[in-house]
Amino acid sequence: MKIKRRPLMIMIVMLCIATTLSAMTAEQIMREADERQTYDSSRSSGQFKIKDRFGTKVSTFDAWSKGADESLIEFTSVAERGQKVLRTEDSIYLYYPDAEELIRMQGSALRQGMLGSDISYEDMTGGKDRLSQYDIVLEEDSELVFGRDCHVLTLTAKTRSVPYPKEIVWIDKENFIVMRAEYYTKSGRLLKEMETLSVGTLSGIEVATETRISDKMKTDTETIMILDELEVNIRIDDDLFSLDELSW
Amino acid sequence: MKFLITFAFKNLTRYKRRTLITAGAIAVGIMMYIFIDAMLMGAEYESVRNLKWYETASARILNDEYWENRQQLPLDLSISDPDKIIDRLDENGIIATKRISIGGDLILSSQEFGEDGNLPVTVTAIDPSTDNEVFHYADTLIEGRFLEQDEDAALIGSWFAEDIGAKIGSWVTVLARGNGGFYEAIDLEIVGILNCPNPNVNRTLLMIPFDTADYYLAMDGAATEINIKLSDLADVDAELPAIQELLNGDDLTVMSWTAMARDYLALAEAKRGGTGMILFLIFIIAAVGISNTMLMAIFERVRELGMMRSLGMSDAKIRIAFMLEAAGIGLLGSIMGVILGIVADFFIINVGIDFSFIMRDMDIGYRIQGIFRGAWNPGTIVIAFFAGILISTLVAYLPTNRALKMDIPSCLRHQ
Repeated sequence: MKIKRRPLMIMIVMLCIATTLSAMTAEQIMREADERQTYDSSRSSGQFKIKDRFGTKVSTFDAWSKGADESLIEFTSVAERGQKVLRTEDSIYLYYPDAEELIRMQGSALRQGMLGSDISYEDMTGGKDRLSQYDIVLEEDSELVFGRDCHVLTLTAKTRSVPYPKEIVWIDKENFIVMRAEYYTKSGRLLKEMETLSVGTLSGIEVATETRISDKMKTDTETIMILDELEVNIRIDDDLFSLDELSW
Repeated sequence: MKFLITFAFKNLTRYKRRTLITAGAIAVGIMMYIFIDAMLMGAEYESVRNLKWYETASARILNDEYWENRQQLPLDLSISDPDKIIDRLDENGIIATKRISIGGDLILSSQEFGEDGNLPVTVTAIDPSTDNEVFHYADTLIEGRFLEQDEDAALIGSWFAEDIGAKIGSWVTVLARGNGGFYEAIDLEIVGILNCPNPNVNRTLLMIPFDTADYYLAMDGAATEINIKLSDLADVDAELPAIQELLNGDDLTVMSWTAMARDYLALAEAKRGGTGMILFLIFIIAAVGISNTMLMAIFERVRELGMMRSLGMSDAKIRIAFMLEAAGIGLLGSIMGVILGIVADFFIINVGIDFSFIMRDMDIGYRIQGIFRGAWNPGTIVIAFFAGILISTLVAYLPTNRALKMDIPSCLRHQ
């Protein structure tokens, strides 16, 4: 009799362990997603397709990053060639080569769209450490977004210092890529929406290669960001993220 | 001397037409001088008044760090308990009101305005119960009603309303950053349109109740500024130390309107230099006119001058006689000019000239919406009066001198 019961017990115990393992908490999901978006260092290139009622403008860029706080974008398309955006731990600087001018972005200027896009400078400064800034609740454990099974998390700001007091994010259960995100004002007005249109593998890493961002306070506008190349964990000189280097 | 004065007077009456024409030229020059001076002085006076009534008040209390960061309109550099400060000022007989200045985007929807759009705005949150004790916005209401406490409503400048097509009952959305940095969207109904005489304000004015801003932007009762009204005759700079004394220990500072409007005052100073140049040119034109007519008056009388010399009258006496005659013309011209100038001043002071067709789309620095009104300046009238006489007298010197250098036969043969 004992011999007959053993496989059944083992199966029940294994099922319990599997269920426990698969039932990740909201914090664990968020941590996993944040960690997968952050590399020790990276170099990438891609393009912004900025659509408005006057048409579509394409701007290409090269970008470098180190950790979660430092990044540099240099535009390479003809109209913006040489323009740079530097993000350090607490500031954003713009460099315009024609004017040889360095500008520190502050206050309401941070809400301006980068190159007139739907991505604001503020969005660039947004830290990836959402765990410490938001209370996170798992709203739905399974919802399909573009055919991908996603966790649905609601993030409610713990402090007033984050730009979006409420976010709803859809995170792919398999690769922890944010497939969709909605950003709200304090009173619950939808401000921005982000959708991952395609996922690809670059340098062996699964990443969102095409993302659409739209400012819901404007009509007929959207920005599509396409990632063409990505290298991670490469050697990057610290000076690259200095102000001296920015205007060099 | 009496003979010379009588002689000069007789000459003036003998050549009535010439005297009147020359005096007329002087009068026109003096009138223009008085008129333009009054107009520019009025513009400056009204600009300062509109600046204090609609922008700066007499003085303003701010957080110590606010002024140097004012371009960012920071909500965190605020006055945490403005009511306590206002009560303290009130106990000392000083009228004050609290405000919040908010930077944001005005979102316009196609349903209300025919087209979607957004533009940057500065929203001023006012305390409707006390704001009109310091500022004068209630007097400028041309449509709708004034704000009430704690309502999702806004007042808008009439030019701003025209530009965006807003009417009473229109709804707009302001997207702003709350205290700390979060985004908030506030839907507001336009309940009143103000025609503010200060064009800088009328182009951009958007006002909401203090309590509304306090609630949506999580200000916790804080204000970014407390505005103070002092008597128009008060020496604001002299009053500041006493007000600062009341603020000690609160990390607050009080600034006079002159410190806040430094840019305008520098511009006004530059304009004053330009204005002085314009007036100088008007004076030069008048002086050239006077000297020209005096020159003609003297040269057409060279033969008469030669005859006087041949009869034995000394050159000095002849020179004095001609200069007295010129002074007489100057006196007549100055009297006429001052009378005309005062009449013109009455017009510019009481009626004014409407420049709104220029001011509507152009910022020339003056805080005047359209009608330029003048101000009395007795000092200028007195100066113009005596300058008219003096210039006329002096400009007669050169042609007289030149005629006196000719020999007597040449004078007598002069055509």
